[in-house]
Amino acid sequence: MAADLKFAKTHEWVRPESGGVVTVGISSYAVEALTDLVFMQLPAVGRKVKAGESFGEIESVKAVSDLYAPISGEIVEVNSALPGKLETLGKDPYGDGWVARIKPDNPAELDGLLDRTAYDALVGSQPH
Amino acid sequence: MNTLTIWWDGEADGPTNMAADECLAAEAERRGSLVLRFYGWSDTTISLGGFQKIGDARQVEAIRGVPLVRRPSGGGAIVHGSDLTYAAAVPKSHPWGASPQVFYDALHGGMVEVLAELGIRAWPHPAGGSAAVSSRERTPAVAADRPSHDEAQFFCFDRRASGDLVMAGPAEGTSSKIMGSAQRRLASVVLQHGSLLLRRNTSVGSLACYPAVADLVVGIAVPDEAVLSRAWGRRIARGLGATLREEDSPFFRGRESEVAAQASRFREEWWTARR
Repeated sequence: MAADLKFAKTHEWVRPESGGVVTVGISSYAVEALTDLVFMQLPAVGRKVKAGESFGEIESVKAVSDLYAPISGEIVEVNSALPGKLETLGKDPYGDGWVARIKPDNPAELDGLLDRTAYDALVGSQPH
Repeated sequence: MNTLTIWWDGEADGPTNMAADECLAAEAERRGSLVLRFYGWSDTTISLGGFQKIGDARQVEAIRGVPLVRRPSGGGAIVHGSDLTYAAAVPKSHPWGASPQVFYDALHGGMVEVLAELGIRAWPHPAGGSAAVSSRERTPAVAADRPSHDEAQFFCFDRRASGDLVMAGPAEGTSSKIMGSAQRRLASVVLQHGSLLLRRNTSVGSLACYPAVADLVVGIAVPDEAVLSRAWGRRIARGLGATLREEDSPFFRGRESEVAAQASRFREEWWTARR
């Protein structure tokens, strides 16, 4: 897992890219917890989202889970191949399993997200 | 706080029930503990899973004209009206909230014990992924009429996932699913819906009918929903080691406006037909 990732408490990761855009995905912890993924709905390109707002959904055999925008901004690109290849989320959650790219309204919001150490601590404290 | 709070509500229509369940999820978050609501349906109603296609529902002749509501939770379609329906909600920080299977198994395991006390043997479908039920596992009279195509998985009771409760089926060597549940995992709370098929619902066509607990037992009087739900609630509290609070008033009381505001979404076509 790349060290430059930031995480939301709701288990989405964020990676800053060149050009001021961030890539967003779902952490391996969250993907493993859901198991047996069957459907996914991506946000529409061009949609404006607020940090913490649901911007997509993913269904496993037993559960529908919301995907929450980790940062406010505009959706500029989505991984449209992902809903047809959900296994990618498990195989490469921080690479080919990316979900969307967002142009942040306020890049300083990234500072409010968890770094890898803090996220690992959060996951480690989750009940099992 | 290790408490289980339970409400028993009367019958309501689909949008009102779904709205109350969303309010229940918010209540779990406020209280930081497990909450449970049992309720009925004012009419036979089909609840669709959050990702199911409305076009698929409209093609099922056996449920034509029956009111539809889309759940926020996942899973397959359920015919409500002769089942024991529940909604449970728990914070994700709770020991039962972290993973979908843990909550599912905890509640279903309690029902296995309640049924066993009545002399009814049910067991969880083993792990190994979901699978459609083969037609031989349905009531023979019904199976003969049921088409074997993808629509067979439209209904919850045609699907099998790890932890679903099953009983010995009407034909030797077969099994029938009697209980299934599905979740909506929100940012900090999990809402779980579930249904125990107590009696066969005769107000829908045979292709939407599944063998119910009452069909599958011999010489055992199946208790009504009220008796069963109280026994189950106490069993769940015991399994959790929680203090049980059984509310005398319905969940709706004092929350009428909150529920009504939420219900409007579930009545709207954009929500029901969103997939």
